[in-house]
Amino acid sequence: MEQHRVMIIDDERIVGDMAKMSLEQDGYLVETFLNGEAALTRLGQERFDVVVTDLKMKGIDGMQVLKAVKTLHPGTPVIMITAFANLDTAIAALRGEVHDFFPKPVKIKELKASIGRALEKRA
Amino acid sequence: MTDLGRRARTVRDSIGTFLRGVLPKRGRPVEQVFAEFRAVMAAHDQALEIVADIGEKLGGEYLFDVVYLRSSYDLLVARIAAMIEGFDSLVEGKYPGLGQVSDLIDREVRRLLYDLTPPGSALVLSLDEMTWERAAEVGGKISQLAEVRNHLGLLVPEGFGVTTGAFDEFIRHNGVDQLLETAGESDPAAWGPAIRERVLQGTFPAALTAAIADAVAKLVDRYGADGRLAVRSSAVEEDGDYSFAGQFETVLNVPLELELVLNAYRSVVASLYTEGALTYLRHLGMNPAVSRMAVGCLLMVPARASGVLYTRDPAAPGNQLIISAAWGLGAAVVEGSAEADLVTVARGSALSIVETRIGRKSVTMVPDEGGGTRSVETPALKRGVSSLSREQALELARQALRIESHFRRPMDIEWALDHAGRFVILQARPLRLPQTGPDAEARDQPVLAAPVARLAGTVVQRGAAAGRVFVLRSANDLEKIPHGALLVARHDSSDFIRVMPIVSAIITDAGSPTSHMAALCREFRLPTVVNTGTATAVLTDGQDVTLVADEQGAAIYEGLLREVLRTAKAAAEMKDLYEFRRKRSVLTYLTTLTLLDPDDDDFSPAGCRSLHDILRFVHEKALLELLEGASRGVRSRTMVRLDLPVPAGILAVDIGGGLKLDKGAKFAGPTQVASRPLRAVLAGLLHPGAWHTESIALGMGELFGSMMRMPDITDAAASSNIAIVSKDYLNLSIKFGYHYSVLDCFAGETPQQNHIYFRFSGGATDMAKRSRRVELIASVLRDFGFAVRIKGDLLVARLDGAGLERSSALLDQLGRLIAYTRQLDAVLTSDEKAAAYAVKFLEGDYVL
Repeated sequence: MEQHRVMIIDDERIVGDMAKMSLEQDGYLVETFLNGEAALTRLGQERFDVVVTDLKMKGIDGMQVLKAVKTLHPGTPVIMITAFANLDTAIAALRGEVHDFFPKPVKIKELKASIGRALEKRA
Repeated sequence: MTDLGRRARTVRDSIGTFLRGVLPKRGRPVEQVFAEFRAVMAAHDQALEIVADIGEKLGGEYLFDVVYLRSSYDLLVARIAAMIEGFDSLVEGKYPGLGQVSDLIDREVRRLLYDLTPPGSALVLSLDEMTWERAAEVGGKISQLAEVRNHLGLLVPEGFGVTTGAFDEFIRHNGVDQLLETAGESDPAAWGPAIRERVLQGTFPAALTAAIADAVAKLVDRYGADGRLAVRSSAVEEDGDYSFAGQFETVLNVPLELELVLNAYRSVVASLYTEGALTYLRHLGMNPAVSRMAVGCLLMVPARASGVLYTRDPAAPGNQLIISAAWGLGAAVVEGSAEADLVTVARGSALSIVETRIGRKSVTMVPDEGGGTRSVETPALKRGVSSLSREQALELARQALRIESHFRRPMDIEWALDHAGRFVILQARPLRLPQTGPDAEARDQPVLAAPVARLAGTVVQRGAAAGRVFVLRSANDLEKIPHGALLVARHDSSDFIRVMPIVSAIITDAGSPTSHMAALCREFRLPTVVNTGTATAVLTDGQDVTLVADEQGAAIYEGLLREVLRTAKAAAEMKDLYEFRRKRSVLTYLTTLTLLDPDDDDFSPAGCRSLHDILRFVHEKALLELLEGASRGVRSRTMVRLDLPVPAGILAVDIGGGLKLDKGAKFAGPTQVASRPLRAVLAGLLHPGAWHTESIALGMGELFGSMMRMPDITDAAASSNIAIVSKDYLNLSIKFGYHYSVLDCFAGETPQQNHIYFRFSGGATDMAKRSRRVELIASVLRDFGFAVRIKGDLLVARLDGAGLERSSALLDQLGRLIAYTRQLDAVLTSDEKAAAYAVKFLEGDYVL
């Protein structure tokens, strides 16, 4: 079975840790990043099938990650998770740039389902 | 009069007489008391919902962050503050101290949520001073020991703890914090030795030297200068979720001299930065730069015998506990170098010894004159006899079970038997039991050829491993072990931590399931077999084999059977994530319920350990206040027991037009209830078939589990069900069996003013069944048009604006539902069943 690569970006370690453990059990290959800078560097080297990013982070934030993914890997869906759902995310979502967005806390099951849909759509 | 009626009358009379006799008559009208009560309960209900929400979001099914925790907590604190203020006014200051205890809790929660060091923390604390909220200052190990002494009254060694505050001072004073900062995320092997050296050469801030000198002097004053100390780590994270077993140094037999104690302190702190400890920290995903260590200095117990006790047997999770024991000091047992005696005790109402296996006990560890310890050969006469008598083993088991029931989880206990024949508890920490996951998938396991060998001994951690055998001949060879090897050794050793991340299994000739190494292997989920007697002889260095260790024992197969591994790999769980556990630790102060029995002395503001405790205390006492208010100064007509054909045990308090009683009546039948909502609910409760009288058998485990959580729920508690009524209003608090529900409703002529609020929580059976019942109730209520919210096993339903007729019909259905679901969860063994029962209920079929 082909293993899909998922990138998780969140400045709180617990989010990446929990998502990684849970997605790995479903057979995904998961890499986690604590800031946008490190994530963008990695995106320059490697293509991911899905990117899940926090919106509000110090330095490079979720919107900038979104832009970078659209430039580097236009086909890669981005899922936004955020404690602060605001107008910008809503607009981005409406424009279809974001595959999905969830307010935190997000049920892991729902995030997984969304990742599954993103992969189907991409295929 | 029915028997029940007579009983009810007696109870009512005695409550009334009691209250009238004791309480001053105050002038507050019952309506005012009731209005205040409702305001308190409104804040209480909101707070309870937030507590339940946090509990649910931190349950492992959600991704959450600290932003969520902080904002939810802020909301919670505001509701709690409003509730306490209203409560103090309601009870007119009768229960002072809730404000103080909530401040203490707040300080701890903020420390966790904002990573704060509590200001003004002490450098040294005596065991007396280690109250529950200071646990973080002295670390898990010492604070739990203090609890065993201060709460259970069991014997523990006297002594003191050097706090994490002192650790911070020491680290800063010696510039270790800067070294750690420079090291950053680089490989600890590179910087560990330099930091260790800095700590070992470290000097002490004057205040810290003075505090330790003072504590040592006090011990000399009270116990004489001949005492010796055991100086041991008590790291903040070392609370038993992670055992850190054997990773940190313990310096034994330290004379009561300041310089020597300071030296021991340096050695223990330095051990935070050893290769083994750093490997372990990395395994947990912890940052060594922020790890902090408190240090316990406890008087040594001159031990005749000592050892370890597990209140459950990790190798055979039946109903038994195991004790390993050897002559002299216990280090020999926990380090796994003595072949200890092993006593198995059956738990249960009467303890009994199942088996005593006499170990060889070739060496005995004794204190050395100049400090430290040494091993001596055990005299031949003592080798062949058990180091514990039957009576002693049983006495120790009894003490251990008290400790288990206090901490409410299986425990790993280090103990010593002193020369006066008394047991002293040296350490008590939660015991990690092995995962049982792989067995469930046994059907999918590939069919294997016959094993080339079956090993005797004890499976410490189940699982399978395929790899090349590495027989360890000398401790120095640890460095040479290749990745993926099966480590085969004569003895178990906690030094093996260094290779646990790279080996695929550990098998030893000698060793104990209660050793430090065993605890670590369970944490690493590393397949491990000890005490095989023959492993180093049966297995050859360099041989490719596959180990399968399961409930049937350990078997060795020829070659690398990789297909075995896939099914045998134990699934990792959220609770293994360090960050997850760290964040969850805040629940200790929020959702944990320790205040259980209202008749207990601890049921007081000072007994509250969590915000949930405060909520429970306020609920209980606010209801009591209402009862007292009703019984005081007002005619006895206002409070009567309902005489019903089912044992619902409801006390009705009339605040205006809710009851039509004959003059002098002391109880009321259903026909004397004038309150429209109560009449409707009673019609439902008494609906034919809805109230099941036969009790549904609970499995023993389930009953035990729920007793541990809520021992107060007994039949007697049913008598505290209370209905506050007026013509159009009902507030009903009901505790049936093992759950709690609250119904608050107004059902009058004007639909816009009407509301029905229903809350339901608790339950005796396991969480899955309880949430099935909650789901069942939710689906029924949704069908009736309620808006329903569920948080864990708390359900809140609300419906506004129903006309009188519809309100009455709904309340009748709620009455039936309350009756019907009393014991329902015991039969809800699957989600399908729950759905089927919901449909049956809606069709009016109440057969279980």
